Amino acid sequence: MGFTKVTSKVVLAEVRPGAEVLARRGAMLATTGRVAFSPVAGGPGGGAYGGGIASALARGMQGEAVPLMVAEGTGTVHYGFRGHHVTVIDLDGSAPLSVEADRLLAHDASMSSSVVFLGQQGGLRGAVRGAVTGQGLFTTQLSGRGSVAVLSHGGTFALRVDGSRQVVVDPQAYVAHVGNLRLDVATALSWRDAVGRGSGEGVQLKVSGEGTVYVQASEEKL
Amino acid sequence: MTSTGPQPLDPQTLPDHDNLPDNPYAYCVRLTGPLFVQTGRMIAYYPAGGGTIRFEPLTVTSLTSMVASHFSSPLYSRDWVVATGQGHVLLGDRGYDINSYDLDDGNLTVRAANLLAFDAGLELKESIIPGFLTLIGTGKFLASSSGPVIFVEPPVRVDPEALVGWADCPAPSQHFDAGWMGHFLGAARGALFGTRSGEERQYDFTGAGTVLLQSSERALEDPHVLRRLEGEVDQLGDGQLRHLAGVIQSRLAQNQQ
Repeated sequence: MGFTKVTSKVVLAEVRPGAEVLARRGAMLATTGRVAFSPVAGGPGGGAYGGGIASALARGMQGEAVPLMVAEGTGTVHYGFRGHHVTVIDLDGSAPLSVEADRLLAHDASMSSSVVFLGQQGGLRGAVRGAVTGQGLFTTQLSGRGSVAVLSHGGTFALRVDGSRQVVVDPQAYVAHVGNLRLDVATALSWRDAVGRGSGEGVQLKVSGEGTVYVQASEEKL
Repeated sequence: MTSTGPQPLDPQTLPDHDNLPDNPYAYCVRLTGPLFVQTGRMIAYYPAGGGTIRFEPLTVTSLTSMVASHFSSPLYSRDWVVATGQGHVLLGDRGYDINSYDLDDGNLTVRAANLLAFDAGLELKESIIPGFLTLIGTGKFLASSSGPVIFVEPPVRVDPEALVGWADCPAPSQHFDAGWMGHFLGAARGALFGTRSGEERQYDFTGAGTVLLQSSERALEDPHVLRRLEGEVDQLGDGQLRHLAGVIQSRLAQNQQ
């Protein structure tokens, strides 16, 4: 199970009955064996997979909808998307992964996904964070045991955060996080500076708590 | 840990002055003194020992005199900040390869868009070639390139887009290819438009030194070239301004066709 890296931008997934793979539509590069693709309504976990209709509706309305497809059958599939770097993150089920929907390339269909209102994570501050980082007010959470392939621009690396060290991340470079983390918007400059200077170092994400934050080596959005 | 994937890094495992392991696109600097950083290139930082790292615009920093003596470029002053404090700073630039260079009492000119950071041992000045900056002195700086950097020795003729910078040798002269010159000399200037191949203008390097090249990139619209031109418009008289307006009009009309 899980994804095998073929190059820094392509992963290989093995598909078996009972081990289906959900992926972004248009990300299939090649396939061997007998694999059938069918669209999944309403984004990650829609239809038969996880979420359900209410969740799918919320996704569609809030812009966290990236059209997905499910690969079923027996065989292998190569996945890649627009030359972006791919990072494989394996979850052992103890903590969910929070990631923006448009960075999600593929994941095991056995994982459940949900859309989380950022306001739930830290109230108004969370909502402000979503607006500032351009993530919108919603993010996707994947939980359970399995493998997730995440897209990034310029390669992803992981930074550890715990009680003794917090890290500050540029909002544009933030990709995903695992664990019990708290993300706060910090402004180094006044708000007027931050707005006037665009993507300077004015707005920063302070990450504290216990876990791992994934960051891309570029300030360009996908 | 709750997940596998890329091995998580922390201040104990991060390099003090090197690319991140297996990632040529990210670079980690351990901050000890002031560092000039182009805005937007910082992607993350770990402050050391419960302190903070400050990123201050050149205009509002407390290090005014240091900045004034090390940063001599009004054109670019709004695009840079000074980082001060203690800790690890991670830098990235559009997914380009990042390399560190040491300058020992030397001078090196680099494309402004590709210069990420330099320490306070170096002085920054504007190159005579638009869109390039010159570093003088002893210290380290970071520059990005689209693909790994190739070092060549003059004499060499290079495509402007592939040029990252040059060290020690004199500033380049411009070379125009024979076909392009033929249009001028044949007084068929009108036929010129629409016949550009994109290779007619090159930089010629001579003398002793090193030229730094990258795999060619799409030319970006550099806002500073425009600002520089705007500054030079001040020196024109009324007749010349009217002429320039005419040239711009005809150029716009050409582009619309």
